[in-house]
Amino acid sequence: MILAALILEALKNLTGNLLRTSLTMLGVIIGVASVITMVAIVEGGQLWLVRSIERLGTNLVFVWNKTLTAEERRLYEGRSIGLRYDDVLAIRARFPDLQVVPVVELDYSVKAAGRHFKGRVTGTSPEYADARNFHPAVGRFLLPTDIAEWKRVVVLGQEAAEKLFDQTSPLGKELKIGNQRFTVVGVMEKKGTIYGANYDEMLFIPVTTAMRRFQGNDKLDSLIIHVPRREQMEAIMAQVHALLVQRHDGVDDVRVRSQGEFLKAVDRTIWTFRIVLGGVAVVALVVGGIGIMNIMLVTVTERTREIGLRMAVGATRRHILLQFLVESVVISVVGGVIGMMVGIVAAYGFGDVVAQSMPGGGEWGAVVQPSAMLIAFSFAVIVGIFFGLYPALKASKLDPAEALRYQ
Amino acid sequence: MLMNLIKVSKIYRIGHVEVLALNEVSVGIDRGEFVAIVGPSGSGKTTLLDILGCLSRPTSGDYWFDGKLVSRLPDDELTYIRNRKIGFVFQTFQLLPRKTVLENVQLPMLYAGVPWKAQRHRALQLLRDVGLEDRAHHLPTQLSGGQQQRVAIARALANTPDVILADEPTGNLDSRSGQDILGLFQRLHESGQTLVMITHDQQIAEQAQRRVMIADGRIVADDRASQQAPVPV
Repeated sequence: MILAALILEALKNLTGNLLRTSLTMLGVIIGVASVITMVAIVEGGQLWLVRSIERLGTNLVFVWNKTLTAEERRLYEGRSIGLRYDDVLAIRARFPDLQVVPVVELDYSVKAAGRHFKGRVTGTSPEYADARNFHPAVGRFLLPTDIAEWKRVVVLGQEAAEKLFDQTSPLGKELKIGNQRFTVVGVMEKKGTIYGANYDEMLFIPVTTAMRRFQGNDKLDSLIIHVPRREQMEAIMAQVHALLVQRHDGVDDVRVRSQGEFLKAVDRTIWTFRIVLGGVAVVALVVGGIGIMNIMLVTVTERTREIGLRMAVGATRRHILLQFLVESVVISVVGGVIGMMVGIVAAYGFGDVVAQSMPGGGEWGAVVQPSAMLIAFSFAVIVGIFFGLYPALKASKLDPAEALRYQ
Repeated sequence: MLMNLIKVSKIYRIGHVEVLALNEVSVGIDRGEFVAIVGPSGSGKTTLLDILGCLSRPTSGDYWFDGKLVSRLPDDELTYIRNRKIGFVFQTFQLLPRKTVLENVQLPMLYAGVPWKAQRHRALQLLRDVGLEDRAHHLPTQLSGGQQQRVAIARALANTPDVILADEPTGNLDSRSGQDILGLFQRLHESGQTLVMITHDQQIAEQAQRRVMIADGRIVADDRASQQAPVPV
């Protein structure tokens, strides 16, 4: 009964001084809105990254050479030189179900009809296309005969094709990698930039060509292994790792990671973002809370005589405390609700801006989660109570006789 | 006896200076009395009213109100007594400016937990009694000083208090409005209401049934005491 009257009272007082109330509320609105916007954008970013990574094929295991310390290099001297093409053949022989894709990365400049292009030349095998879910748009990808005969054929990424051959069709044309002539046999579909790697500026040549015509040895940079069934992943990873260590004369010089582990790493990165951006937003919210405290202190001082009178006619200290606390809570609750609405609009608006300004961000969108809204809102209410408590306590502790005669 | 002060002293500390506002004051007020406490400014009469009204506690001495030793009661019980048993009328009216006349009169009943409808009903009744029923929905600032003071009196009567304590009730009014208020007090007195009025004005004090003179924190004259036993001045 009395509480209802106090809430009504608080609402009247707040609407009685609308400018002051809305300015105070603005702090809370900005705080809550920024929490929701930040979280929604990070959330959207995560979803987008995970989707992009999964677009690059699923159920994948990656194997690459460990970076060794000087100490380790000295220790393993003459025992192992890391991943070799033989390893691929050995894994294929042991696990016929798996698609094993060798990868060699070369650093050569590419020339065609007077144009230069600094792309990423990758030596790989025909299985690459299926494993990475990345297929040619025109022409063909690498064939087993290309591998067997160390053919000088190349498949271009979209961007590589545009840079080297402009609008004309590159199929059947020649280009030079380093000082060797290659024939273009295909152009890949558009893929975009995923997790920092631009797939459209890649050029694919047969792995054997890369090893024997350029490197002069059969070292590989990494392997991509496609596992048919997700349940097998763990077991396959362990077995492949063991096989490689055994083949490398007992030296553990490779890393084996599943795509899931990469996704987890992405998750961790995202969490860092979430905490940093969320922290910034929370600071905004706390600043809003300080605004509430500031205004409530002014209000208490302004209404000292009113407090004295209320005490004289029968308000207990609890009544006074509640009256002022209700005011700050009303500010934060109303501010919180408005902040949520502003936050949703801002999140989607900002999401669109990011989607349009980021390469390959077309499928990017903010994700407003109910849990984030709930957290932001309850945080606002807690801030309102926390920062409203001190002024309210101050009001409730006034001496009635002195308060009545306050000038 | 409704109110009985026994050797009540009040000391204020202002920084390191101690001010003796009341010096062993003893006075008793019966139900139905209309008492004027008269004294020059700085004599301690406001302090006396604060103690009588349970707005502050004596530094020493006992204060009995309606058979209860209130001088040592906790805050909430003093609040309860102020709410139910005491009605205040102030020189500056002390009406809440953003509330209507009606809401101002309802205020003590709100804190007493009276249901809203009953509050309304009683407040309108009281406003009728002081002749301001037609102003119920006005804001205090739209009323004259005399009218505002009548609203304050209606508010003081809201919870049918045992006593009305008035602090210079005519101090901010012209003499005609002042007389109106004093007339209202007379009517209340005649209906049996206990009234204690503080004033510095001898002429206004004359209208009360009994006068208690105060100077330098001591009672220097009391009509009733002088009727019973002379007090050395």
